[in-house]
Amino acid sequence: MDKTTVYLNSLFLSNNLPVTDKRKELFEAFAGDEHNRELVNIILQNQKKMVTDWKIKNRIEDIKQQPFMIPNATVGKAYTAVIDFEKNNWTDFSFYQLDHLDAVGGINYDRDSKTISGIPENSGEYKLSLKYRLSEEPEGSELHEKIIPFIINPDPKSLWKNIPSDQADEYWKEDTTTASGRIANKHIVVASKRGRSHANAGSFRDDDFAFTDLGNTGWSIVVVADGAGSAKISRQGSRLACEYIIDHFKNVLSGEMHRKLESLILSNQAESNDAIKKELNLCIYNLIGGGAKRVHDRLLDFATAKGYTITDLNSTFIFTLFKPFDFGTAVLSFGVGDCPIAVIPKDFSEVKLMNWLDVGEFGGGTRFITTTEIFSSPKFASRINFKVFPDFLYMFLMTDGIYDPKFVVEANLEKVEKWKEFVEDLKGNNDAGTAVELSATNEHIEQQLSDWMDFWSPGNHDDRTLAIVF
Amino acid sequence: MRRLPVYLLLDTSGSMYGEPIQALNNALSGMINTLRSDPQALDSLWISIITFDREVKELVPLTELVNFQLPEIVCPQSGPTNMGEALMLLSKTVKANMRTGTEDQKGDWKPLLFIMTDGSPSDIALFREAVPVIKAVNFGAIIACAAGPKSKDQFLKEITPNVVHLDTADSLTLKSFFKWVSDTIENGNKSVGVAEELTLPTPPSEVHLVI
Repeated sequence: MDKTTVYLNSLFLSNNLPVTDKRKELFEAFAGDEHNRELVNIILQNQKKMVTDWKIKNRIEDIKQQPFMIPNATVGKAYTAVIDFEKNNWTDFSFYQLDHLDAVGGINYDRDSKTISGIPENSGEYKLSLKYRLSEEPEGSELHEKIIPFIINPDPKSLWKNIPSDQADEYWKEDTTTASGRIANKHIVVASKRGRSHANAGSFRDDDFAFTDLGNTGWSIVVVADGAGSAKISRQGSRLACEYIIDHFKNVLSGEMHRKLESLILSNQAESNDAIKKELNLCIYNLIGGGAKRVHDRLLDFATAKGYTITDLNSTFIFTLFKPFDFGTAVLSFGVGDCPIAVIPKDFSEVKLMNWLDVGEFGGGTRFITTTEIFSSPKFASRINFKVFPDFLYMFLMTDGIYDPKFVVEANLEKVEKWKEFVEDLKGNNDAGTAVELSATNEHIEQQLSDWMDFWSPGNHDDRTLAIVF
Repeated sequence: MRRLPVYLLLDTSGSMYGEPIQALNNALSGMINTLRSDPQALDSLWISIITFDREVKELVPLTELVNFQLPEIVCPQSGPTNMGEALMLLSKTVKANMRTGTEDQKGDWKPLLFIMTDGSPSDIALFREAVPVIKAVNFGAIIACAAGPKSKDQFLKEITPNVVHLDTADSLTLKSFFKWVSDTIENGNKSVGVAEELTLPTPPSEVHLVI
């Protein structure tokens, strides 16, 4: 049977007019009629076309709905993404073009490698347009469009604002402060800078520091404190903690206490035995631990007098008290919080950490000089340390704003090679090419350290304070 | 780098069908855009979206904001609100994602959780089981939002003291709610890391704090 007969048969059947035996001859003549054959041919062709069109419509809709994303880009950062036509099942395209890339700027599409690449210039949510034609469609027919969202993140560096802090505030302090000079038989340089996170919000620097020679005792002190971001007036807490500890030692490190400490250090050096050691430890415990407690108590008094709670002054707190003797330099230290104190011996063969860090299981789980519980904790004594160094190359005290980006984790503080990298970094081996010349005659040392401390590190925008004794 | 994980637990049950789900999509997209222009959020924020209707789905696994792409959120025309099951999945997901501080890695900031529903849990027994499980997860803050007249505050109150109520789930209200959510996240970004509770920014007039 030919296609006309088949078609007419089923057409009549579906219209409840089955061709009976009686009418078979008539039907054959009808089906053989040239005009009718032509009509059926047109119908069949139209049907075929409609099936194809419907398939195409379906396919286009499928492509439109098909989830397809390209990875996000960031302004100023090299970007590459390949459009995998095979994997996306787009092998039935006879033609395509990718439009609207020029809106992003700096980004191009390479047809050979099917790669979108470049360094984006503008941020935003762009809609790329993939225009295509399917191979089943006639040449020259209209193109279809698939929208491809393309997200360009702004360059985070460009988003940070630098809003000055309110100078009229009762507890205002300078956004950046530096100092340098002689200390004991050494030199010191310190810089303390407001972090980008604070600058962005126009809030205050919470870090602080202080250093001084303690009269004619031969002892010197360096102290660094980091006010907690969450506490209301921690900037004042850190400032007062530095001031109070210096006050304290100016008062107590004279007369009897001073003579006793020195004679115990000297006898321990000459002939160490358990009894002397024990007495020395006790003396240091009372001197250093007592100093820390005094700072805590005065902070409590201040808070109470001003109608605050002591936690409003939350601040981490580290200091070293040191004095050169003819056998070497005695270094006493105290630390609460997550700021390290490190001493590098002359030959740089190792690093001696003076304190352990209060780091919690979660980020920020630290303790403060204002945390009353630390004084009754069995670990309190371990916050106090005493070491004698024949001489040292550097003594570093820093807040977590330096330690987090430069050492990342506590374990790295133990590694001498990390400290060597750190010193190289200070000497200019860094992306920004900023260098600090650690020399007593360097007139620009404060500015150099301050510039160095502007280093960029994603995610690390806390206040930064670094004290270097050299 | 320390991450601030943020979990969005969103009701996509039948009652959200139509305008509310459109409004939700718009509001979320607006929120993500706002966060993208915050340098701190770009540095530390990771976002996950879990939706719940008859089915509970981890629609977007925890993803860094820089790489985050918001899919269209859809919902069925009818069906139950399996919030209990969603909370159970959430607690597992949070635990699986959590990075705690170790010798050589920085711990995450405490995660934040935002729950939004326009109804009440259909799986009440499981919900009651899930409440203590969620409370045991160390969230920095849980903020729950009851949107629209049919939503019930009291269930959310069992999860967190921070419950807000929206009178309607229309485009404007949701937009203003999610603006507040992004403010809260940005606020969290600044103050995270301390033991105390996160302080919530003042909500806009459309968002009523339920006391």
